[in-house]
Parts: sequence; C-alpha cells; structure tokens
Amino acid sequence: MNGAHGCLATVHGVALVGLEPRPVRVEASMSPGLPGLRLVGLPDAAVREAGERVRTALQRRGFAWPSERLVVNLAPADLPKAGSTFDLPLAIAILVATRQLRLADGDQPWACGELGLDGTVRATVGQLPTTVGARDLGAPRLLVPDAAAPEAALVPDIEVVPVADLTEVAAVLSGERPPRAAVPAEVVDPAVGAELADVRGQAIARRAAEIAAAGGHHLLLSGPPGCGKTMLAHRLHALLPPLTFDGAQEVAALHSLAGERAPDDPLSRRPPLREPHHSVSMAGLVGGGAGVPRPGELALAHRGLLLMDELLETPRPVLDALRQPLERGEVVLNRAHARVRYPCRIQLVAATNPCPCGHLGSGGARTCTCRPDRIDRYRARLSGPLLDRLDLQLELRPVDRDALAGPPDGEPTAVVARRVAAVRELATDRWGAGTRNADVDAADVRRTCGPNVLSALADALETLGASARAFDRVLRVARTVADLDGADRIGRPHVDEALAYRLPDASVAA
Amino acid sequence: MTSVDARLAELASAVAAPGSDPGRLVAVVAWLAAPRRGPTALRRAVVAAHERGEADPDGVGLDAVLPAAGPTDRELRAAHDVLERWASLRCRVVLVDDPAYPTRLRADWPDRDAPPLLVLRGDLASDRPAVALVGARRASGYGTGVASWLAEGAAAAGVRVVSGGAVGIDAAAHRAAVEQPGGTTVVLGCGHGIGYPRGHAQPGGLFDRVVASGGAVISEQFPDQRPRAGVVRARNRLVAALTDVTVVVEGGERSGALLTAGAAAERSREVLAVPGDVRAPGSAAPHRLLAEGVFPCLGPQQLLEQVRTAVHGVVGWSVAASTSASTSASTSPSGALDDGAPTLPGISPALSTLPDDVHAHLSTVWPRPLRPDDLATATGRPAPQVLAAITRAQVSGELTVDTDGVRLRRAPAGRQDRG
Repeated sequence: MNGAHGCLATVHGVALVGLEPRPVRVEASMSPGLPGLRLVGLPDAAVREAGERVRTALQRRGFAWPSERLVVNLAPADLPKAGSTFDLPLAIAILVATRQLRLADGDQPWACGELGLDGTVRATVGQLPTTVGARDLGAPRLLVPDAAAPEAALVPDIEVVPVADLTEVAAVLSGERPPRAAVPAEVVDPAVGAELADVRGQAIARRAAEIAAAGGHHLLLSGPPGCGKTMLAHRLHALLPPLTFDGAQEVAALHSLAGERAPDDPLSRRPPLREPHHSVSMAGLVGGGAGVPRPGELALAHRGLLLMDELLETPRPVLDALRQPLERGEVVLNRAHARVRYPCRIQLVAATNPCPCGHLGSGGARTCTCRPDRIDRYRARLSGPLLDRLDLQLELRPVDRDALAGPPDGEPTAVVARRVAAVRELATDRWGAGTRNADVDAADVRRTCGPNVLSALADALETLGASARAFDRVLRVARTVADLDGADRIGRPHVDEALAYRLPDASVAA
Repeated sequence: MTSVDARLAELASAVAAPGSDPGRLVAVVAWLAAPRRGPTALRRAVVAAHERGEADPDGVGLDAVLPAAGPTDRELRAAHDVLERWASLRCRVVLVDDPAYPTRLRADWPDRDAPPLLVLRGDLASDRPAVALVGARRASGYGTGVASWLAEGAAAAGVRVVSGGAVGIDAAAHRAAVEQPGGTTVVLGCGHGIGYPRGHAQPGGLFDRVVASGGAVISEQFPDQRPRAGVVRARNRLVAALTDVTVVVEGGERSGALLTAGAAAERSREVLAVPGDVRAPGSAAPHRLLAEGVFPCLGPQQLLEQVRTAVHGVVGWSVAASTSASTSASTSPSGALDDGAPTLPGISPALSTLPDDVHAHLSTVWPRPLRPDDLATATGRPAPQVLAAITRAQVSGELTVDTDGVRLRRAPAGRQDRG
C-alpha cells in the first residue's frame, strides 16, 4: 500500500470543543501527481494556512519538501478543527510520510503546537486543557511547545516533552537526543486578601459577606455611589476558601482557553474574581466567537466570584442570559458545528444604585432627585426571576466620617475566613464534597429544620408580603446562619435573621 | 332604537347613585360628552342662567341649561359609551342635585369650582368629619412617618382621611387609615379607567383595599381622562373642598400641596402645616405656610382638636347632622370625636416583641427611622441579633421597614399627647 510513495504516517493531536477533548488523527501520505499539499477533513482557515507554514518551516530547518503530491487527512472529518495547534502534528506526519524521520515501530506520537516560519515551535491558547485532554484520551507522552511546558507539566500522569524547534522534534522522536524534562509551573496559595476590618460602621454588611462566603449565596448590594459596594465584594472574595488543586487546574484551563493567562503563570489556588463592565455584550458574558466559542465572563468566574456592578444598567437580554447558567452551573452554547459546555459554578455579586440618580435614602447632604415613578420603574427591573436567585439582598448606606476615621470595629479577614472554611467543611460533610449550602436542593434543607420553623417562615413571608418563591431562598440562607452559629438544626432566630436580608418592597418604600 | 334606549336606561340605573334619577344622569352625561363641553362649561352655563334669572334661585340650575328637547342621538351614543365604561368599572355617579352629593361641595356650586358630578367606588361617608393629609410624592421617611401617625390617629377617632392617590405622603396616609373606623377617601387625578398610579390601581392594590374596607375612591372625570397636569391640579382643590381641615405634611417649593392649602383657605377651611427639617427640600411647602401664619400641626390630638372646632363652625356642615350624630351614642363618627380620646395606645416596652434597649432607641428617634446598622451600634448588640429582632417585630406589625430604615409603626407610649 505504501509502496514507493513512502509510508502512511499517523500523528495524534487534540481538538477542544469547549473543555471537552476530541482526538484528531493527522494522517499523511504521498501519492503520484503534481507536487503540492492537499489538506482534507474540515480544516478552518488557520488550519488550511498550516500548509504554507509547515512547508517553509521544514525547508528552513533543512528538510526536503517532496516533489510529489502530499495528502493530509485530519480525521474524523466531521469534527471542525480550528487554530494553529495542528501545525506540529502535521509537520511530524509529513516528515514520517516522506521517510525523513523514522519512528520506532508502531509509535504514533501525540503533539501540539504552532510553527513559526523559522521552524520554532510556539505556544497556543488552551495548553492546559489540551494536555488534560491528551491524557484522558490515553496519550502516554505529549510533545508541547517549550514556552507552554510549565502549564502542561501541571497535569499529572502524562509525560510532557518540551520541544523548542523542528530540529529538536526530529532528534527526540528518532531517539538521537533524550527528551528534556518539563518544569511545572509553581502552585501558589493565595495570600490574605483585602481586609474585612476596613469595612467600618457597617456591621450588617460584614455579616452578610460572611454568610455569602460561607454558604456560596448570591448577593445583591444596593446603595448610592461611594458606599462601599465594590469594596465589600472584594472582601467577600478574600473570605472564600482556596481552591483544591483540581479546582485550580480547572479554572486555569478555562483561563488558558480564553487566552487570559500566560503558560508560565503560576497556578493560583485563589478563586477567580471577574468584574465585567456593565456594557458587557452577550458574547462577552456567556462566551462566543467564530468556530468553537470561547469561554465568556461566566465561565471565567467558575468556582469564583462574578461581580456585576451597575446591574440595572446592563441590557435586559444580557441579564436574562444570566439566569439559566446560574441555575444549572454551566453555560451551554449551541453553534452550527458544535455544542459547547463550559462549567460556571459561580457566586454572583450584583451591585446597583437604589434609584437612577443614585442618592435615594443616602440622607445628609445628597438627596434623591428622581421622580417617584422613575424609581418604581427602575426597581421593577430588578424584580422577577433574577431577583429570586439573589439569596442575600442588602441595602448599603454611606458611612459617616466618624466611623471612617475611627478604629476598626470588626474582625479581620483571617478570623472570619476561618469560620467560613469551617462552615464549608460542615457542608461537605452534610451534602457531599464541593457542595455549598446554596447548591443544595431545598427539600434537603427542610429536613434540617427545627420544629415549627417551616410554618413560622411561611407565616412571616405572608405577613411581610414576600413572594412564596422566597421561601427556599430564605431557608438556604438560614441553613448557613445556623451553621455559623454551630447549630445542627435551623431555629427561629436563624430564619428571622435570614429574612432580614431582603430589599424592602419598592412600592412601600416609595 | 328602542332597544338602544332600553340598554341606556339599564346602564344609567346601574350607574346612578341610589335615590337619584337615571334619566337625569343620562341627560347630564350626554350634555358633558358633547364636543367642547365639560364640567367647567356646564358650571359656567349654570352661572349664566342664574345671571339671566332663568334658573330657580334655590335649585342647582341644571334644568335651565339642559335642553328641554332632550339630548341628540349623537350625544346619547357618547353618553352610552361613558356609562358603559363606568358600569364595567363598578362606579356610581352622584349628581350635584342628588341628596348623596357632599354637603361641603354643594356650597361651592356653581360659583366656586364644584364638579357637576362625582364618580365613586365605595362609600364616601360624607357626613363624617374629614381631614385632608397632603404632600409630595417624593417623601422622606419622616414625612411618611408623620403622615401615617396623623392618619391613623384621625381615622381611629372616626374622622375620614382624604388625600390624592399618589405615592409618597398620600399613600402613607391611606395605608395608615384604611383599617380604622373613619376610613379613607382617595381623590383621583384622572378617570377611573386609567389605573394610575399603576401599583395602587392594580387588582388587590391600595385602591381595592380602600374600597373593600369601607372607604371610597372618587374622581370628577370621565373614565378615560388621563392624569394631565391641569387635571391633577384640579384634583387638589377637590381634596380641600371635601374636608374640614387640611394638613400639609411635606412638599417642595412648587408642591401641589400648596394648591390644596390655597383652595382650603379660599373656602375658609383650617390649614395646618407639619414642621420639618429646615434643610430638607421637602420642608419648603409646609415652612412657607408656617411663615405665612398657618398653625403648625403638632400631632393627632391637636389635629382632632382643630377638626372638632371646625366641624361646629363650617358653613355647609349642618347642625342637624352634627346633633343627630352626637345623640346616637359613641358609635357614631362625630360622637367619637366629641369623646375626644384617640384610642390608639402606643405599644409599651413591656408588651413589645423588641428587646428593651432596641425599643428605647427607636422610641427616642420616633417618628424618624433608624438604620439597622445604627441600631446595632447604639445598642452594642451583634448584627445578627438586631436583624432577627427587626424581622420578628416586622412580622408582629410593630415595625415598618423601608429604604430609610426601621421605625415604630405607632407612637411610643408617652409620645401621644405632645399635641
């Protein structure tokens, strides 16, 4: 079959559909005909250009370009392939097909990387998920660009071989030179972050941040400009427990895919904090782009905090797009060629002004100049399904000067973070690993209630005129409050406190 | 044609107030519904008829204006549409010459600006002493707090509270008075069919609650009249005309509350103004009135005192009604007035669900609100405790919570008799 036209070469690459790896076989063979390269198997523009890059790179490194027709097939043909990561597998396949490189019997190497015209191997985005994918697909060894090696080497159970250029690739694969060992990127634990004690004179806000961090509850902050909404959100971020190694790796994989981290950045255990501007587009938030859509802010905040400032300035369709991902913990993007899922188990911190001018209820020097019906309409935008998912709702007020100038009146971050971590452990014991109180099915929370608590809550909600949908929301917060209190069963005081984290009804407030 | 007439008669008797003539209602509505006519045109025509000596000097003068031949077909069709709309909105219409037409307004017809008809849902209870509580939509926590305090105290003593239907001070007054014996009357600045403001007009909203609890929602407009500025301003004089005492609670420099006060003064009704924070823009209207020599309003007790004085002196408040009321035991509205005491004890610390120190701090600042954070700081209690206590007291009805903070719903014991 191979005959005089060289052998059929097979090299493996990895295509990513979202975080999901798909094996790609790069097959090359020579056949009689006019010299040239024919690429088949649904390549996108970047892959089709690979032919030119590979040809020049090979020639620059002193390899010969065959004077026959070369056919390269990217299999399976129905999977769309994107990007320049198939340059290296392609070059290796051509070298083998033209008998310029001899592999050990039956060796079908795995490789990824882009080629420069001078024959150097360059890093591409998504090295971490590519390496994880190669391992999961059964690759024993993966050739990776030198620059991306620290990121790839974070993945256990696969041999990562850094290569600098085509000369080194040929030398390593033919056994002339031993492979170099890759040095994994550093894993760093987060230092203590923003200091909670800096939030002065706002004991309730500090408490809400503690509950939100401990239970993973979504938080809504309403208040005039300068009352410390962003400041509090950053403190909440600092209270979150560090990620596990697997968690940190998953987060880094998403960031790598979005091109948001350099391959040699240390792997941080700090949960991500994303602060998209309120003008964020739909694609920017949920993910998008040509071909296989890239992760958006939601996925980039996976296992961390998504801070949406000026929530009510965000266009309505974008807000609506938040709902399903919040519910399901993943974003699903359907495109013509691919259906991509990105995980997004996020904690949402939404901040908004209380009224269009921002000064409603701020007291003292600034007074609200909004017409009351405009305030109603502004607040009405908050209502509905999105508001129902924000477990903790808090009104913040500007702090007066005395409290700002005075000594800290609250506990430091480190102390509160220890309590938060303890509650997270309790939740893990009770519900299973990685499950926070906010994630639990409400029926399970109901089983941990003390006597008469459920009926008391129902009565209270009716008296306060709150929607019945608030029931489970309040109960989950009450679970976290009870945990912070060291109580096994949810009692009346816990429910009463949980009930207090609601925005007052807009029509009453007006 | 006869079936149309029958339908019209049916509609008219459904809409006409009990004891009034449906045929007369059709004639008046048909006259008003014609192009370039309206309440003011009708009133002017009546005044002109009086001047020409064509009208009966003791009657309301409508007979001299309405064409003897009856309305044209076109006018009848227009009247049919209006009546049908009112019927579907479950409204009743009181004409100026009906016995149910409020005595206080009758004095204004036709020389001052009294409406030829009133469209109402519920019970106007126009024989009760009445007080207008008016103020701006953009109200402070202090303003809404005082409005509820005054409204609850007045209505508990059997006095009808009257105000516009807007958010802010108006709504606070209605809410506080709605379940009390005196009840409350909403005077709309638009037609009944418009549903403005939306939050109050929706099913089960404030207006429905007012009607269900024995109060009234009234309008002088055709059902689909929108709340244009002129119409809303005209509403203010009606609020004043329907009441014995007008209290301006809060309002800016150009607040409509000043129009209400002006209309009350024109009719020689008492005007009171609630003193406020001199720095707050919402104090401009009441403070201007105070500067002009209006009495300050010092609390429900003093307000009731003023109402009592006014009731016995006001033109149009018939002595017969007043005496018959006071003879018919203390259940009658003005009988309660004469007995004096508003029977609304503030909740004493002993009966409160709140911890003593929390109650004490809220009492000190009352009727101003206090933020939960400040409450925690003042009492030295941890935030979770304060929040739980607030929720409990809110559920028991002792506290209200809004954007300005929390506040005792009723005057604390010992603060009632400041007036």
